[in-house]
Formats: sequence, structure tokens, C-alpha cells
Amino acid sequence: MSHKYRPTIGIECHVQLKTKTKLFSGANNDARNAEPNTLVNHIDFGLPGALPVFNREALKLAVRAALALKSEPELFSTFDRKHYFYPDLPMGYQITQYDQPIISGGQVSFKLDGQVKTVGITRAHLESDAGKSTHPEGSANSLVDLNRAGTPLLEIVSEPEMHTAAEARAYTEELYLLMRYANVTEGDLYHGNMRFDVNVSLSLTDELGVRSETKNLNSFRAVEKAITYEIKRQSELLDAGKAIIQETRGWNEAKQKTVSQRTKENADDYRYMPDPDLPPLVLDQVYIEKIRAEMPNLPDFWRKELGALQLDEDQIQLLLEANIDYEAVGYMALIKAFLSKVDLAKTLVNWLVNIEIPLMRSSEASVKLISSARNQLYSDVMRLSKSGQLSSTGAKELITKLLTEPELPGDITRFAEQANLLQQSDQNELETIVKRVLDANLNAVKDIQKGETKAIGFLIGQVMSQSAGRANPELTRQIIEQLLK
Amino acid sequence: MARLSKNDVLKLARLARLELNVTEVDEYIAELNEILEYVEQLQGVETLDLKPTNQVTGLTNVMRADEPIDYGYLPAELLKNVPQVLNDQIQVKRMVE
Repeated sequence: MSHKYRPTIGIECHVQLKTKTKLFSGANNDARNAEPNTLVNHIDFGLPGALPVFNREALKLAVRAALALKSEPELFSTFDRKHYFYPDLPMGYQITQYDQPIISGGQVSFKLDGQVKTVGITRAHLESDAGKSTHPEGSANSLVDLNRAGTPLLEIVSEPEMHTAAEARAYTEELYLLMRYANVTEGDLYHGNMRFDVNVSLSLTDELGVRSETKNLNSFRAVEKAITYEIKRQSELLDAGKAIIQETRGWNEAKQKTVSQRTKENADDYRYMPDPDLPPLVLDQVYIEKIRAEMPNLPDFWRKELGALQLDEDQIQLLLEANIDYEAVGYMALIKAFLSKVDLAKTLVNWLVNIEIPLMRSSEASVKLISSARNQLYSDVMRLSKSGQLSSTGAKELITKLLTEPELPGDITRFAEQANLLQQSDQNELETIVKRVLDANLNAVKDIQKGETKAIGFLIGQVMSQSAGRANPELTRQIIEQLLK
Repeated sequence: MARLSKNDVLKLARLARLELNVTEVDEYIAELNEILEYVEQLQGVETLDLKPTNQVTGLTNVMRADEPIDYGYLPAELLKNVPQVLNDQIQVKRMVE
């Protein structure tokens, strides 16, 4: 692949707002399990004379988004009509915000390979979604379902300030966390709650080249792959002395490539005009301050809280995602409760990252323990580990077992003992086993006495197997050394 | 003075998904230009200190609570307005290849 061109990437992201009803009508907004054309009314169908009325909740969510993007909402913004004809757009225009959007400016910062990168936000505007179309195989027709028509979206437009596919991916991941932590969207990527359009251009100079826009990517991986593909495709065209066409492309997941969709119409072709049905939005500072005061903690708050633990970025990312995916558990708050002792908090993070969270991801239903018992569970397991009664394998098994019970047992030590998870730390019992092993392995004993300490490991292994894996290895070593002195 | 060319009219027709024959194109060039000339009188108005008028009602922040509203229309009634319906979906000419 040619590296002589500098790629420039800008991203538009459509965030579906977490409202009960649509942006301009009182129809239910959750189309996920609804039969076609059941969450509709005269407004969503674009019938003549229907009057759209703005949803107050959408404004609140847009203000929260503004604050999460380190911006301030605009005190005055307006709605416009963007005209184009397409079968999934019954009114013949989309209601959006053109020259006076609810958010102007902002930024998203994230860490990539240890470096902090900040991407500017150009603007973000409220708009209504179109309907959903399907194209049955072999049919001469397409089918349109208007359940999604009118769903509130916030389109967040970044500055063209990214230069690699990895940067773009990291940007979309951070934007996702911000929008979920700010409680703006459900963030269900599978159902298209956040969809990304990526603009990619290549240039040899500071002047931007002709861009392609790959639309409707609904995963971070697809964003990264589509951009990587576009950089390669455009490089090859430029190397061959061919021109890049400004066009809209789509990502074909099966073929792992972008494909041309249509040449992009110019902005004037949309014939934007102010929507006379929708009066402007005028915000005052009191309203904004009230929302600011109610803002939930954002990812950076938790990154700072966890700073003392010096976790790597992947661990923090995993915890941040789990914390929001399993809000009822509240992983960040749980870790915070252990922060006064850094070594304990690190042990906890290790267990969460390697035991509990993978278990939640693979079979959430099997985890039955009430959230409030987590602190006790982990404190108890830490105590047993620290006293040497529990090996790391034993700790993993015990945690897994305890998580699948609705409540903690009254006596956790007894529970672990009955489950055969405690290490054999009784000096006398262990000595009996060690003596038996020494008698049965006289060659190894001779080797050790000759100074070949490697054989100790072999003997410890024998003791472990005789004790069904429950012998405390450190204590076993001490006993062997003592007996052979 | 703005004059619409034949190409302008053809482009407008394409955007509006209208099929025009040769006579119609000539008719529209003439008629649309007449309309433009009429509207062009506005160019004479001094607008230096004026804000654009998007609204004439003076209203702001017309909003509703985020609660479902039963408007009394059944989906089946709404679908009666649609030329072709298949399995409760709106059937249209195929949109993609």
C-alpha cells in the first residue's frame, strides 16, 4: 500500500435519541419489535395538513450531548426542510436544522497508543429519521415501513481532523461512550442507534483531495475497515493517474469492500428552506444550568478516579463499557469503594476484567447475585486469598460459583471448604502427604540432596496431585525443604 | 436579472421527478422566468439591518411532553392512502439494484 498520500477523515454520526416518542409526533419510538407500519400516525405519514410538534425531551438530550461534547447548546436554533424524493421519506423533505443548529463547536478527546488526540466537532443538529426500506430478493419492488420515520436523531459532524483508520475508530468508540454516559442514547449499535458516515480524502499537499463518503456503518470495526479500504482504493487510483470521484459509497460486509451508490447531490439541490410549521428553539441559561447540574459522570471522570491504579487503556475501556452495559451492577462504583487500598483495588480490577465481566458477556443470565453483595463477595475472597487459603485458580472458581447464587452464603469460608476450593494449609496434614511423597520418590530426594533443586518442583507437583490440587504450594515447598535439611 | 436556462429547468424537473416534453420545457422556461422577474422586485428592498423572517407567528419553543399520543388513526386507515400495500408495508418500485 502506498503511504505517500496523507489521508484526511471526517465523520458524521447519527445518534438515535433515547425518547419514548418521535421527534415531531406522539408515536412510540421503539420500532425494534413492532410490526410494520404500526407505530405511525398522520404526521409520520406526511399527510397534508398534519402539524409536527417538537418533543421537549429531545431538546434536553441534545443539551446533554452538547455538554458531553465540551460545548454549549445554542441559545437560538431553527428547523429547516431538506427536500429530496425517496420512497422512505413520505413528506418529500426531512425536517432538520441547517444554518442554525442546536450545537456549534465542541470536541472529543481520546487516548490512542498513549497519546491524547482531540478531534473538533463542527456542529450537531436535530433531525428526524426516514422510514426503513427492505428489498426482497428477486422482487421488482422494495417495501417501506414507516415505524422509524420521525425517530429523533442528533447528527454529530466532526472536523476533518483524523488521519488514520485507527484514529477514526478510537473517535467513534469515545463518541459512543460519551453519548451513552451522558444518557443521550440507548446506544444499541446492532439496531442502528448510532450510524457513522465516513468521509475520506487523500492528498499530497495541505490542500484536501476529493472525498468519498461511505454511509451507514453501524460498528466501530466497520468504520475502521471501510476507511482502510478507501485509503487503499483511492491510493491505487491516484497512483494510476486517475481522478477520485466525489460520491456516496456503501460498505459491503460480505465482500469487505466499499461500493459506489450514487454521485452526491450538491447542497443547493436539497432546496433547504425554513420550516414554517416549527417555531425556533430559544434556550435560557437557567434551563441549561439545570441540565448541567443533573449531568451524569462522563468517562473522563472515571478515568481520573481510576488513575492511581495505572491500568492500561484496554482495561479501562473494557471497564467503562461494562459499567454502562451493566448499569445495575455499577462496576466503577464498586472499584471506587476499594480505591483507598491500591493493591486491593488492583486485585479487584483483575478479577472483574478476567472473571466477572467475561462471565457477564458470555452468559449474563447465569449471574444471579444481587448487585449490592458484590462488595462483600470480593472482600471475602480477598481475605481468603491473602491468608493463603485460596489459590488464584481457587479464587476464580469461588468467585464464579458465588456470582451464580442469588445471595452470598452465611459463612463464605465454610462454603469454599465444602466446595473443595480451599488450599491444604494444615501443617500436619500436609506433612503426612509430603512424607508419603518423599518415600515414594527416593531418586528425586537424592537429586535434591546433591544440590539439584529442580527436583523440588517435581515433588511439589506430586504433593499437589496427591492432595487433588488443594495443597498450598508455598507451604509444601517449605515443608519439603525442612524435611530434607 | 436572473434568467433560467433550459438546463436549469431540466435540472429542476429532474429534482422534482417530473418528465417534461420539449414544448413543456419551453413553456416552463417562459413561465418560471416571469415568476422570477416578479419576485425579483424584492431585490429592491433595503435588507441591510433586517434579520431573515423565518416565522411570522412570533412563537418560540412550541413543544409537547414526551408521552405517547393516540391521534385516533388506525394504521390500516393510513395505509388506505398508499397506492400499493404488501404485508402492511408500502410497496414501491425497487430502490436498489
